[in-house]
Amino acid sequence: MVGIVQLAWVFLKIGVIFFGGGYVLIPLLHRIMVDQMQWLTLKEFLDGVALSQLTPGPLAMLATFAGYKGAGFAGALVATGCIFFPCTALMLFLSSRYEKFRRIAAVHHFLDGILPAVVGLVFAAAFNLGRTSLASARDFLLLGVGFALLQFTAIAPMAVILGAAAVGLLLHFS
Amino acid sequence: MEKEIKKASLREIAATFFMIGATGFGGGMAIVALVERRCVQEKRWLGHDEFMHGLAFGQILGPFSLNSCTFVGYYLRGAVGGVLAAASFIAPSFLMISALSMLYFRFHEVPELKSALLGSNPVVIALILVAGIGMARKKAARLGTAAVAAAAFAASALFGMSALTVLAIAGCWGLWKGWRTGRLG
Repeated sequence: MVGIVQLAWVFLKIGVIFFGGGYVLIPLLHRIMVDQMQWLTLKEFLDGVALSQLTPGPLAMLATFAGYKGAGFAGALVATGCIFFPCTALMLFLSSRYEKFRRIAAVHHFLDGILPAVVGLVFAAAFNLGRTSLASARDFLLLGVGFALLQFTAIAPMAVILGAAAVGLLLHFS
Repeated sequence: MEKEIKKASLREIAATFFMIGATGFGGGMAIVALVERRCVQEKRWLGHDEFMHGLAFGQILGPFSLNSCTFVGYYLRGAVGGVLAAASFIAPSFLMISALSMLYFRFHEVPELKSALLGSNPVVIALILVAGIGMARKKAARLGTAAVAAAAFAASALFGMSALTVLAIAGCWGLWKGWRTGRLG
């Protein structure tokens, strides 16, 4: 068992250092949890990454897993709260200044320039995901059907996603 | 401007983000696409500009999926709304992982859900594409902006440039453009 306070402190620190988010987190968490703290074995760590990718939450949900291992449900709660506290606090701060700052002409121009780049990043995310997960005709068929349903009908996107997951389960995709 | 914004109740915020957190398998941009569809297009809680700015800020620290939820929540109901949206979004994943961790540390096995994800992944890509097309129609429809979008796509998808760098460069382009039109007209 690991002390709750130590758990909180370590995850708070991790929360502060993951600039840019995403996959820089894997090597960082690996070093801290497996090498330094020895809270998880390498196998547990890799299984934890796989588990956190099963859920809609971000990869940092690995904190829930490691916290659970360290100190049960309370540990999971504390670790999750602490890893997300810094980014949530920063977002609240930015949001609170947003309305005021965007009236400044320079900021306004800067933000306007960002908009089309965001569009590019959204397509890049789709492209990267497609590169790793579109392999067969079946995948492209699902992509086409999904696209048609989402673009041209009012069916809730959640229903479409869960429906496709059910299709995968029932037909034993592998 | 696409205004006429409706005021959202805290309960509505919690319910919306809980649903997104419970069904947005695929994470990351899939979440962003869901939030865009539910909060911008269907509920008209905020405009495309505001939402995309929030997404851009969200690249700075931590996961941008969570950060966009925090931003929308704050935009609607201040700090309480922001924290509530973030917590509601994380709650389903937290409960799932807690339950799965309990099973895992007892039986040492990861559940076999791979076939479910293989089914949902292509649809998640479709969802992101639909959101991207909607955003492109609004914000990258002219020659100059379309070129910036294409350049940002290439930098990120083909050359592996970090999102933060892409956005910083685009922001400077915006500054330069604003400065030039300010001078000329």
